[in-house]
Amino acid sequence: MSAPPRIRPIEKFGQAVAKCSTELSVYGKCIVADYNAVHKDKCANEFMKLKNCYLAAAKK
Amino acid sequence: MKLIKIFPVLGRHVVRQSSRQSRDYAVASSAGNPSLQVFNRHSKYMQKERAASNVERSRQVDYLKDEVALRLSERLLDINRHFNHVLDLGANSCNITRALTLPDPNSNPDLVEKDPVPIGSRISQVTAADSSKTMLYRDEYLPFNQEINLTRDVLQDEELLPYEKETFDAVLSSLSMHWINDLPSLLAQINNVLKPDAPFLAAMFGGDTLFELRTSLQLADTERRGGVSPHVSPLADVKDVGGLLQKAGFKMLTVDIDDIIVDFPDTFALMQDLQAMGESNAILGREAGAIKRDVLLANEGIYRELHGNPDGTIPATFRLIYMIGWKEGPNQSEPLARGSGQTNISDILGGGGTIG
Repeated sequence: MSAPPRIRPIEKFGQAVAKCSTELSVYGKCIVADYNAVHKDKCANEFMKLKNCYLAAAKK
Repeated sequence: MKLIKIFPVLGRHVVRQSSRQSRDYAVASSAGNPSLQVFNRHSKYMQKERAASNVERSRQVDYLKDEVALRLSERLLDINRHFNHVLDLGANSCNITRALTLPDPNSNPDLVEKDPVPIGSRISQVTAADSSKTMLYRDEYLPFNQEINLTRDVLQDEELLPYEKETFDAVLSSLSMHWINDLPSLLAQINNVLKPDAPFLAAMFGGDTLFELRTSLQLADTERRGGVSPHVSPLADVKDVGGLLQKAGFKMLTVDIDDIIVDFPDTFALMQDLQAMGESNAILGREAGAIKRDVLLANEGIYRELHGNPDGTIPATFRLIYMIGWKEGPNQSEPLARGSGQTNISDILGGGGTIG
């Protein structure tokens, strides 16, 4: 009997993030819209939506 | 330029090939002998050791090193002479030696089936040197070891060559020199261990390698944390390599570049592969620990938006700088003096237009 292959944390992370393609795109567009003038928390709202989506996906 | 497709073992990367080639004869020389420490050599050693200890995974991500080693050793075929003793400096898992045992693509196709001629048929002995013992000995028991006279040599420090003056008939180096702190010194040492009129052939990652990752991580760092930390190591620029070789005493230089673009499913796969290759960041003064999750999350969104392919994959560019330099020797051919040309090059290339 061989043990099931160990899923590394980064792979789990990637799988959960992959479920949030809409939020990823909205956040990405917000940054890229004016990428010469990016400052801290420029897209904080978009990021929080992305992070919430990721957290929800990671729980499943 | 030949088109070669790479098919990585995992089958999840799609390789696109773009062949922008250019030559560069820029000369830059600086006074003095500055020795700048950029990379943490010990971190690099640990990364390579750790990467190679996972043999299976490490072999899976050898697609880039194998491909570049093959392209580099094919350049050796253009030199019509016998090489008694060749040094592979920064050998990784002996990728060059393995490439040398593959059949020569230019040999007579009728003969290939019966008795293939390996690329390295004109080489008597190879010394493969690397500081990471685990990486160097990873493929010790694979069949290619029997097909060529190979000696492995674990170096204390890749920046200090322990060889006698005029030992080697050629020095090769593939995807290793981009981690060297003092490149001028190493090149001078290579020149020293070469016999007169012997060639040095190398491939290293250059300036624009991983520019996609570099830019999107910078944006992610700025927006999430309000500042930038170096996550992707700085690399030598194509423009500088000619000058470096010349300063080290090499003659008849050839420098050209070649882009290999690999498509990955997402940024996490890209970063995992880089880690498994032992090619993660090793810059001095980097932050301790892994990149924060928030930054990784932001990076995925920005990378996709800024650089992503229409089919949902993401491209990663690897810019390779190939260099060839010759140690000075008696009766060596030399470039003609400037202005001594008798033929107008537009007569040969056809009058497609005028310059200027």
